[in-house]
Amino acid sequence: MGAFSDGLARGRHEFPKNAKNSFVFMCFFSQFTFFSLTYVFFYYIVYPIKHFYGKQVWKLKSLTFSGGIHPLAEQDWKAATKASPLRVFAPASVVIPMRQHLGRPCAPCVKPGDEVLLGQMIGEPASPRDVPVHASVSGKVVAVEERPHVTAGMMLAVVIENDGQDKPDPSIQPRSAAEVEALRPEQLRDIIRDAGIVGMGGAEFPTHLKLDVKGKVDYLLINGAECEPSLTGDHRQMLENGDLVVKGAVLLMRACGAKECVIGIEGKPDAAEAIQKAAEGAREVRVLQLKVKYPQGAEKMLIASVTGRKVPAGGLPAAVGCVVDNVSTAVAVAEAVYEGAPLTRRSVTVNGAVGQPGNLLLRIGTTFRDAVNFCGGFVGTPQKIISGGPMMGTAVAEPDVPVTKGGSGITVFNQITDPVTVEGNCLRCGRCVEACPLQLTPQAISEAYLAERLDLCGELRADLCMKCGCCTFVCPAKRHLSQTVDLAKRALAAQGRR
Amino acid sequence: MNETVEKKSLGQIFMNGILDENPTFRLVLGTCPTLAVTTSVENGIGMGLAATFVLVGSNYVVSLLKNFIPDEVRIPGYVVIIATFVTVAQLLMQAYLPDLNASLGLFVPLIVVNCIILARAEAFANKNSALHSVMDGLGMGLGFTLAITLISAIREILGGGTFLGHSLFGEGFEPMTFFALAPGGFIIFGLMIAIVNWLSTKFKRSVN
Amino acid sequence: MDGTLEKMYVAPSPHIRDKHTTQRIMADVLIALLPAAAAAVYFYGASALLLMAASVAAAVLAEYVWQKANRQRVTVSDLSAAVTGLLLAFNMPASAPVWMPVIGAVFAIIIVKQLFGGLGHNFINPALAARGALMASWPSHMTSFVMPGADAVSSATPLGMIKEGAGTFADVTARFSLTDVLTGRIPGCLGEVSAVLLLAGGIYLIARKVIQPRIPVAMLGSMIVMLWIFGGEGGLFSASAYAVLYQVACGGAVLGAVFMATDYATTPVTPVGQWIFGAGAGVLAVIIRLLGTYPEGVSYAILLMNVAAPLIEKLTRPTPFGVQKPAGKKAGGSAA
Repeated sequence: MGAFSDGLARGRHEFPKNAKNSFVFMCFFSQFTFFSLTYVFFYYIVYPIKHFYGKQVWKLKSLTFSGGIHPLAEQDWKAATKASPLRVFAPASVVIPMRQHLGRPCAPCVKPGDEVLLGQMIGEPASPRDVPVHASVSGKVVAVEERPHVTAGMMLAVVIENDGQDKPDPSIQPRSAAEVEALRPEQLRDIIRDAGIVGMGGAEFPTHLKLDVKGKVDYLLINGAECEPSLTGDHRQMLENGDLVVKGAVLLMRACGAKECVIGIEGKPDAAEAIQKAAEGAREVRVLQLKVKYPQGAEKMLIASVTGRKVPAGGLPAAVGCVVDNVSTAVAVAEAVYEGAPLTRRSVTVNGAVGQPGNLLLRIGTTFRDAVNFCGGFVGTPQKIISGGPMMGTAVAEPDVPVTKGGSGITVFNQITDPVTVEGNCLRCGRCVEACPLQLTPQAISEAYLAERLDLCGELRADLCMKCGCCTFVCPAKRHLSQTVDLAKRALAAQGRR
Repeated sequence: MNETVEKKSLGQIFMNGILDENPTFRLVLGTCPTLAVTTSVENGIGMGLAATFVLVGSNYVVSLLKNFIPDEVRIPGYVVIIATFVTVAQLLMQAYLPDLNASLGLFVPLIVVNCIILARAEAFANKNSALHSVMDGLGMGLGFTLAITLISAIREILGGGTFLGHSLFGEGFEPMTFFALAPGGFIIFGLMIAIVNWLSTKFKRSVN
Repeated sequence: MDGTLEKMYVAPSPHIRDKHTTQRIMADVLIALLPAAAAAVYFYGASALLLMAASVAAAVLAEYVWQKANRQRVTVSDLSAAVTGLLLAFNMPASAPVWMPVIGAVFAIIIVKQLFGGLGHNFINPALAARGALMASWPSHMTSFVMPGADAVSSATPLGMIKEGAGTFADVTARFSLTDVLTGRIPGCLGEVSAVLLLAGGIYLIARKVIQPRIPVAMLGSMIVMLWIFGGEGGLFSASAYAVLYQVACGGAVLGAVFMATDYATTPVTPVGQWIFGAGAGVLAVIIRLLGTYPEGVSYAILLMNVAAPLIEKLTRPTPFGVQKPAGKKAGGSAA
């Protein structure tokens, strides 16, 4: 804009006497300068740099969504475990809750004293919309009783004493490649349901329901973002079982009728490389690296980052032609279809105040205490144990809760990092507004809720909140923003039901 | 609305206007003169007494005529009655207190539309006997006078350093003119309402 | 230890917070103000130091006494009162008597801030409101400026000279060059003299992510555009770049844009709203400067925009993710 300020400096005499004309002239002239400079900038500076660094870097920068936060910038939570390989662990006894999916609890079909085999169905689904529960070890059922549960407080569970032999159930029969090739989508979905597979990112939504899409599906997105600060289980799965991830992705594509599959990975160049290598055979599978930002792995954010589509408010990903599944789910699907094995184990990251933080491939139903003891035990006195990671995980009431199908991590704090402090006054700094990936105004919703203005909460769309916790994380006054917004959301839902 | 008032004693009606339903601090009526003329104590007292005179007179006449004025035209009726008393008050002020009249200026004729007077005519005098109405007018008027005198005293002392025109702090004092201006008036008015509310809740709590 | 404590702390997620605290933000603002404060002491001597100390002390003490008297949690340690006190002192000429910032600070803290609910709830900037009250009360004290230096010769500010027509623009610039204006070797309020140091403070705040550059950029930008169009002596678009820059660097424009107009409580939280807020403040400031009776309009421009901030915020609320904006009317749909 050099000419612009030169014109300013020279004053009026250089321009036509009529002020209006000179203004119009200036507008055109500055526009012209601006556009030509932009052109020069892009064609001679930006594009060569882009070419020089290669496509990958460019995509890493551009594939993202608006809002979000960078928890890893302050403390690299993943450093302790991302290099630790998955270790197989089966405890002396497992506690398998009868509800491990979003739906009605299963009915136990074994009784104390029964001998069960690995992979034998022990909980019958209540309807075709629900999924069964399988024994994750072989051994003797010692109890069928109420046990602590991560989210439900207490839940009916089957307790099995492990005989250590892992005698497989006779129903587990591997399928040949040709047999798999011949399976129709609905057969695939039935296999997935009978294997008890649910969304393993944490939501525990039955996968076969998600795959049963009426309309056209353009993309199957495999969620390898794992944006939650302390978790690295999916990262290890992609590194170590890349071929299973790709196999599972292809099967999921067939099951939902998607035309293209994108595996979205947040950062993690090693994992992206491994998956890229594994996907060489599968033409329709693409690997994309996404910018490191929380909550990149949230369903809506992943879709926005990869496809640029926005899931409509209150709608499902299917509305924009997408189906999203977790990396671990893809692995479970590959194992269920090729090996015939039901979902009995999953990758879990044990992180925080434990002896040797690491990634485990453990049996479903392992209690948190057993898993932590396997990882070197608690360091200090545990104060807070979280199922999942520190941003979205659920704090559990006691260490004897079992790991369920959606439990991706165990994070132990031996000091309270988020003390129940007195909330400061809201400064109105606007950090929460900028952090919210859904472009809500958490500060205004919280204020409206505390003033008992539920109508205003509805107008501000508190119902859309996905409780990613970004607003609470960034709040300098340490206000419980996402918690309050969640209360508003629940109150709105209750009002809607009435 | 005020059906039970008849049972109250005259003293209660009088005190009601000064404390419980103080027109300025509790009913927040007549805020225009409250903010505009309270720059000096003299103005405040003059305005308050003029309004009291009009209020007593109009309440008395309205209560006497309440059975003769048709309901449909009662408001114009009140206005005519009030305007009569305002004219009387203004003529008296012009004759005997020309300085005060000059400093109050437009606000004396504006007493006609002062909502305290209209409100009492409508809410009280229209339903009660002449004696009670006079007592109510007196109580309300003095309540108004007290309130604006208090506000004007604070504003005059802070904003001018004087009280009733007498310098209080000597030559060196530089008054905070802000309080003599409109924003200062609003702030003092708001603060006084807050203090009165605070005191009255405190008083009620200690009575209970 | 193997986790013998059976009962754990349970709390809703998230379980971690970032390092920003109210105290840290306010401390950053104080740090950003320090260079300009040091410049004020350098140019105006001990009286500047005394004014700033009195103002900060009075503000902190007023907040402490008020919160104690009302049995509230004392939040003096969040440093917001100290920031208000220092900003108020920055709005005073060096020759002001020391009781003035004290009265102003008490007014700012108690009437403007605490009576409306304390930190974050004040509807106008406390320091600017106090400046307005002091300006209305003691205009002679607030507008008698002195030259930098020990002998304290009284002089009008460059903007004041332009306003009063004490000479042509060339005369003014002959007395105070652009370099003088940028470094602060001019008569003026304590904090507004050194544009360069104030901008450095602003860059520090932006680097520390305490403020976003939107409001300062929008405000200074709109001032430049407005001064370019209307600020010249020979009609529209007659102002030279030199004159525009000179007028923006003078007076409280930089202090206002960087430190006053970015006050969290009294500005919109929405990004678009912040652009509008800044642009509006800049336009108003120039209008007051050119058409009003005051030589300086920044403080009143910001106060006026403060009052408009809730409306701007309501109108610029971002559309939530995935919500279709109904064409034209917005209020009707959601109400049903």
